[in-house]
Amino acid sequence: MDQSAPSDLLSSSTVMLGLVALASAGLVLLMRPGARSLRLAGSVLGLAGVAGLFVEVLKLASGGGGIPPILPVLFGVTAIAGAARVMTHPRPVFAAVYFILVVVASAGLFLLLGADFMAFALIIVYAGAILVTYMFVLMLAQQSPVEGDATANWYDRVPREAVSCVIIGFVMVATLAQVLFNPNEEARRVASSVQGEAQTQAQLWETLAGMPKQLKVITRERLQLAKDAPVQFVAGERSALIQIEGDTRFVVATVDGKDHRVMLTNTDLPVNAQVVGATLVNDFPASIEVAGVILTMALFGAVVLARKQVELGEDERRELAGLSRLSVEPDSGASR
Amino acid sequence: MLSFSLLALADDHAATAASLAIPAAIDAPDLRWAGLIIGLPALSALLCLLCGALKLRSKLPALITIIALLGSFVLTCMLFSQVGEGTPRVVGLFEWMSFSWGTGDRFQSFAAPFALYIDALTLFWMLFVTGLGSLIAIYASEYMESDVGKGYTRFFGGVSIFLAAMATLVMASNLVVLYLGWEGVGLASYLLIGYYYAKPSAVAAAKKAFIMNRIGDLGLALGIGLIWVNYDTVDYATLFRVLEAGPLATQGDWMPSAIPFLLMLGAFGKSAQLPLFTWLPDAMEGPTPVSALIHAATMVTAGVYLIARTYPLFELHPDALATVAWVGGLTAFVAATIGMAQYDMKRVWAYSTISQLGYMFLGLGVGSTFGAGYHVFTHAFFKALLFLTAGAVMHGFAGQIDIRKLSGLRRVPGFKLVSWLALLGCLWLSALPFSAAFFSKDTILTTALGSERSDFQFLGWLGLFTAFLTAYYTFRVWFRAFAGPVQFEAGDDHHDDDHAHDSHATASHAHAKSEFHPHGPRLGIRIPLIVIALGVVAAGWPGYDALFFHGENWVQSMMMHSSAMQGAGEVHGREIFGLSAHRMTSIVGTSACLLGIAIAYWTHLRDRSAADRARAALRGFFLTRWIPATLENRWYVDEIYHALFRLPLWVASHILHFFDKTFVDGFLVDGTGRVPVAVARLFQPLYNGVLQGYAATMAGGFVLIAGWVFWIWLRGNG
Amino acid sequence: MTSMMTSMMTSTMTSTMTSMMTSTLAQYDASAVDAALLTSALLFGIGLIGFLSRRNMIVMFLCTELMFQGAALAMIAFGRVHGNADGQTFVIFILTIAAAEAALALGLVVLLYRRRETLDSEAWSELKEC
Repeated sequence: MDQSAPSDLLSSSTVMLGLVALASAGLVLLMRPGARSLRLAGSVLGLAGVAGLFVEVLKLASGGGGIPPILPVLFGVTAIAGAARVMTHPRPVFAAVYFILVVVASAGLFLLLGADFMAFALIIVYAGAILVTYMFVLMLAQQSPVEGDATANWYDRVPREAVSCVIIGFVMVATLAQVLFNPNEEARRVASSVQGEAQTQAQLWETLAGMPKQLKVITRERLQLAKDAPVQFVAGERSALIQIEGDTRFVVATVDGKDHRVMLTNTDLPVNAQVVGATLVNDFPASIEVAGVILTMALFGAVVLARKQVELGEDERRELAGLSRLSVEPDSGASR
Repeated sequence: MLSFSLLALADDHAATAASLAIPAAIDAPDLRWAGLIIGLPALSALLCLLCGALKLRSKLPALITIIALLGSFVLTCMLFSQVGEGTPRVVGLFEWMSFSWGTGDRFQSFAAPFALYIDALTLFWMLFVTGLGSLIAIYASEYMESDVGKGYTRFFGGVSIFLAAMATLVMASNLVVLYLGWEGVGLASYLLIGYYYAKPSAVAAAKKAFIMNRIGDLGLALGIGLIWVNYDTVDYATLFRVLEAGPLATQGDWMPSAIPFLLMLGAFGKSAQLPLFTWLPDAMEGPTPVSALIHAATMVTAGVYLIARTYPLFELHPDALATVAWVGGLTAFVAATIGMAQYDMKRVWAYSTISQLGYMFLGLGVGSTFGAGYHVFTHAFFKALLFLTAGAVMHGFAGQIDIRKLSGLRRVPGFKLVSWLALLGCLWLSALPFSAAFFSKDTILTTALGSERSDFQFLGWLGLFTAFLTAYYTFRVWFRAFAGPVQFEAGDDHHDDDHAHDSHATASHAHAKSEFHPHGPRLGIRIPLIVIALGVVAAGWPGYDALFFHGENWVQSMMMHSSAMQGAGEVHGREIFGLSAHRMTSIVGTSACLLGIAIAYWTHLRDRSAADRARAALRGFFLTRWIPATLENRWYVDEIYHALFRLPLWVASHILHFFDKTFVDGFLVDGTGRVPVAVARLFQPLYNGVLQGYAATMAGGFVLIAGWVFWIWLRGNG
Repeated sequence: MTSMMTSMMTSTMTSTMTSMMTSTLAQYDASAVDAALLTSALLFGIGLIGFLSRRNMIVMFLCTELMFQGAALAMIAFGRVHGNADGQTFVIFILTIAAAEAALALGLVVLLYRRRETLDSEAWSELKEC
């Protein structure tokens, strides 16, 4: 790990601090239920701050030169702008809609990071399921504004103690930014990614070796066999399914009594969803169980919470317990 | 005339007492059963406790106590027949305290085994302690019957504790075990004085007795400590050996000299002598059997026993015995003068007890342990008798004890025996010639008057004058209460009142208030009274024996064979007014007694207004005005104590209370308590009840910590 | 700024898109990871600020979802740094918790709304100390 010069570190952190402060100031203006122009200025300030932050960070990532890649910046800025809208929009329904934008933008970032499965799972679960729940609750709880009246509830328009909240958020983000984005950390990340590269490849091959069905599919494809043709593998030394000779990897498949050597390339490695699945099942089986239990309990909890509470009187309770009613019928009381 | 030759005989026997050494004690493991003398009352106390726990409502506790005490008495008699005047025996019972510390040259050890030291003095004391204890327990079994139940159990439990502690005190083989018994009798006394705990005066009296005894006990504890520091032992046998071997007092070293004075303080506290006597009259708040047993016959003589037991130590300082004599003589006089002016019969007997104890200390001080011991013995009987007759009157008249409201009791049916026995006690207390007290008191006064020291002679004359006062106040009570026309008012003790009507089944409750029938004592009271009366007469036996049969005075020989031997024999034969000292004492003492009785007869029976007229005359003349006032107010001793000790302490306590309230409580405690409150008020706005408020606090705290950690990290890097 | 972005977009679009769609063994892209980390930090911060400052309980929970989103993004980014799928696996658990939380929290909100007919969180301040 090479340590960069302290002055470098400090100057970079000072700039980043300023940019976070700029973005925070913009956020404060945006939160205020004030004049439109002020809010516009706030959004401009905030966008500038966020953009500056991205530039600064990507400068760090690319080692100080080159043009910043457009897609990460695009998704990032979209997500952040959407998030800012979620928390500033006076109408909760719109806030929820903006949240979908955040989810979609972060799904884009997921894709950029090679997490294809999670990107789509995110959209399905969040934008598809959770957000719909929110919409339902909003419909249940929110009084619909009178036709033509665009003003929202006062408590949606006026934030509580915006400045102190933003200061807390500012310190938090500033700290995070300082910790995450300095040359030392950057170098450490690159180093660990380089180190992980070879390991990753070995792991992927191992994962493939644990997927004999996949290997059969590949073999049938290569040997142009029918989809249900029987395929048998011959294990190599130390009963390894995938054998290695020099740089090449292959499996030996027995089809109709004949041995075929099927070469394997990088393109045969399992795709993202397969890897995630394999990891989930192989490495975290107990966690899956726990997650399932949590979901079940949440289900019960939601049922209990949302049930309509019926206030039973003394008579009703007595009736439920199989006892006679206490109260005298009103007409009999009158006759007495 | 015969009485005079008694003392002449005593002279012969005095012989070489001073040069005799205290015989060395021998171990007697075969006498281990003597531990039962302590053990039986202790067991009885436990059983009474059990009875109390079982909420028993019967006379069983009395039965248990009486059997235990009689057992102790029988055992004591057996012990007496085995040991008698022989060599002192030491009987080890069990290891009690045994410490050692330090090594090499600094090695030290302390041992106080629970063992018995049985010699003539011990046996002498134990005989009347257990004997009188048993009789008074029998008496109390009837006297306390209105309280059958919890109170009855408590009473007999207390009596058992007392007897066990008193036996421990007397039979102890070392000073630490003695101290155990000493505190035990103090505890029992406290419990029994405060028996009627619902009565504020009884509670106050119990507290007073306990606190005043504490002052004396402090002296005793310090004395024991000094003895251990100086002689490296608390064991009597070893101590006497050490004292005999080494020089008795080293001049200039204050420590050995202080020992007798500290022990004396303990003795004065327990025996109600001059500076510390005010608790005893108040102790009459307890039930009468308790007054008789503890506060007249036995416990108060513990001081006399202590001095007699440690008599060799009192020669460590030349003034020690003289101090004892002076305190005793003055106490005798002062208490007698107060006794003249009291109306409560029990209080008169209480002051007479103090006065008689003064005589005993005078005897010890002037060098007549024989006289003191003999007086303890005789006094125990006749004072117990006087108290028990007073108790019988109280029992019959619903708690009435004021001699102004009782008259002619000897003509009230059922009280004839009581009156005549009271007369016997009064005569003995007045030291009528040929009574037991006459022998004992005269021995003391003769020793004082026959002394070479002029101050002792003065104390002897004071004692003779006190004898006159004693005869007067004693018969003042008897003539007032028991003689004269029948006239009485019932007391306000309703408990007793109801009981009286229960026993007289004919009386109806409707008349309970208007008509009062005194009820005479039954067998439970009568039998002990008669037995004690026989004892009163028999207590003179050693004197008669010496006088008529030329035998040896038994008490004298008992004293002679114990640690109190130093003063057991000698009666100096100095001439006063041409007569030998004992002859002179007998003549003057007898005339003082008769004169006192005559004046009492004149002023309290023949012409009952004479006493009031005399009092009015004294008050009318300005020079003598103080006399009746002082006497009626008990020499203002309580008031002096109040001014000297209680008032300054009261003021100091209020100052300290103020300091405590404002500074300690107000500033230190409450101030410290207010700090968290103030800090909390500082942070109170954070807890505004809104969810986000708490979230902001949480996030803010986290952010502050994270920022601080990062700041440190950044500076560490830079 | 926007013009600059569009000019850059054309040049880098193709290469990034291909790397995105190919196998897991793509080249480590430091800029994408850093952009994702920055986005996650800001999402978390904005979510926090929103949770603290919004009064509408539903929006408050929406903001907690933002914070979940930030955490999930950071997971993915760090998983990418280390080159394995653990990060993505954890995101599945985050989704689980988020779903459970949404179900319970929204149930609570409905319950509370029925009591007071308002969504204002300040309507529920009986626990206050002053």
